[in-house]
Amino acid sequence: MRIGAIVRIVPDLVMGIEIEESEIVPFKYVPNERDEHALEEAVVFKEKTGGTLEVVGIVDDELRDDEAMEEALALAYAKGADSLKKIVLNRRTFDRREVARAIADHFKDYDVVMVGIQSIDSFAGYLGGILSGVLGYSYVGGVVGVDYDGGLIVQKELGGGVVGKFRVKTPAILGVVSAERPITFVPLVKLRQAMKEMKVEEIEVEVPDMGGIEVVRFYEPEKPEITLLEGDVEELADKLVEVFKSLSLV
Amino acid sequence: MNSNIKIFMINPDKSVTAMDMLLNRLKELTNNKYFQCIQCGTCGGSCPYGAYTPYTPRRMILAIRLGMVEDILNSNAQWLCTACQTCTSRCPSRIQITDGIIPALREKSLLEGKVPEELSTALINIMRYGNPFKESPMKRDGWAKELDFEVPTMMKKKSAEVLLLPECFGAYHRRCKQATKALAKVMKILEVDFAILGREERCTGDHVRLCGEFALFEDLMEKNMKVFSKYEFKYIVTHDAHAFNALKNFYGLNVLHHSQFLHDNLEKLKGMFNELDYTVTYHDSCYLGRKNGIYEEPREVIRSIPGVRFVEFKRNRENALCCGAGGGGIWLDSVMREFVKVRPAEDRVREAKEVGADVIVTGCVLDIPMFEDALKVTGLDGEIVVKDIAELVLEALEGG
Repeated sequence: MRIGAIVRIVPDLVMGIEIEESEIVPFKYVPNERDEHALEEAVVFKEKTGGTLEVVGIVDDELRDDEAMEEALALAYAKGADSLKKIVLNRRTFDRREVARAIADHFKDYDVVMVGIQSIDSFAGYLGGILSGVLGYSYVGGVVGVDYDGGLIVQKELGGGVVGKFRVKTPAILGVVSAERPITFVPLVKLRQAMKEMKVEEIEVEVPDMGGIEVVRFYEPEKPEITLLEGDVEELADKLVEVFKSLSLV
Repeated sequence: MNSNIKIFMINPDKSVTAMDMLLNRLKELTNNKYFQCIQCGTCGGSCPYGAYTPYTPRRMILAIRLGMVEDILNSNAQWLCTACQTCTSRCPSRIQITDGIIPALREKSLLEGKVPEELSTALINIMRYGNPFKESPMKRDGWAKELDFEVPTMMKKKSAEVLLLPECFGAYHRRCKQATKALAKVMKILEVDFAILGREERCTGDHVRLCGEFALFEDLMEKNMKVFSKYEFKYIVTHDAHAFNALKNFYGLNVLHHSQFLHDNLEKLKGMFNELDYTVTYHDSCYLGRKNGIYEEPREVIRSIPGVRFVEFKRNRENALCCGAGGGGIWLDSVMREFVKVRPAEDRVREAKEVGADVIVTGCVLDIPMFEDALKVTGLDGEIVVKDIAELVLEALEGG
């Protein structure tokens, strides 16, 4: 079983971002959380099947040396990836159709590819589904578990607390929402060791211009006005009545 | 820096096995004393989880001698420890159980990827953001912005007599930062020249060390020391007993626990105290009491407040029962619940009720959420309240 997993880096919303009219400037990048789940599930699947796991980082040229990508690949190596690749997109794009076409040729040698079902920086489709479309592979999203009984069996969240089990033809791309086990912590000593030992094959690809989407502007929506009522129960009741009156509700 | 913890590489030349690493770590952390265990069982008899754990420290040492380390690790007993130091303080062979045997076993679990879920998340967040809550370091001084006076940062002020260190819980935790604000207000009333590190502060790492993540502890210490070295201050004051322990015993810095700081200023405070009408008991935090021998200063501060009736817990000073949060215990609840039906904090608040207290005064910010949760679980919420010693002092200063 040849297993692939995709890792990407995204703006770290914990650290915050700065919004300018034509771009969003992150203070820092971190590995995409859903991809961390995809990686964890890929490691679990490798353990179940005894297959090989190749982890592919996807990053644009501006961020090719960002420490978050190095961390993402080192975490993968420390967790048990057999080999690592880094695909460098020659320009930044948030359009996943363009990314999928740019990288598709490099995802033809796997039986299963796991990718985070979403990433916060995409606004035009999710990579897993579009990549499967480009390659003509099976796709399941919302994946929460993957098993193998000679064929691929995928558990998918269906909403309302229902989980479905599907037999899926390989090759397949799986959009993972949550790994079947929590993301394991990699101790710093193992992470540092992985950073020293890992070998990453770097591949540069050209991103096709498919057009169709143009950024008009980025902005924060206006915040709703919030009035905090304070006082004891009686006062609060009076104040609430005033508010309801002003809204013509009473 | 006082820390001499070695960072062992994992099998870099394929000659050191995981078992060798564990034995090296045990030798290093216990000064090779783990061999000297006389199997008396004092440790297990003293342990708050002794009745529940499949491996008391005595049995752990025996199992290590018999080469049954994996049996211990598979049982999860290494996580069933609140690092309360009771076993270590009573061990007749003076074996470093809490700072040695347990973290060494935990380190092996971490390296094998067997980490309890909440702890795993906390460690990932500490490594990435310098705090366990996945909060932005930029918001570390958020508590200070809730005050009606400015708390200066060292970045702005460059030097101050006192560096106030709230640590992670004191900086971010909704309830604990109330204690931080109270301490800052007391400092302001005392006209102390103090400042904070704000966004430059990060976890001091005592729980990280006690959980066996030694490389991360060293990394945090190195980064913190770099920040400390940029500024001039006479001493650090913290209300986090674990931060106090790390800064005193591993960083080798001049640090006061806030109960010591309040005690040092007691004559001045006495003149400003108003009367309070409380029956107060004081909980000895493990890392103030058993680990660092601070017992009398907080008691003297509490007793000096007019109107306060002071009663002791039945188990006090060296015999005080742990709150259950230490050594990463605050992130190990689901593991502990597999073994333990009643948390130590629940026993502790029932004990406060037995001695007739209506206020439990604490000396470590971690105690506050532990006891407040326990009050809800035991149905004592409303009968007993939990206050940090700085909160009690501020109340006495502000007139109750």
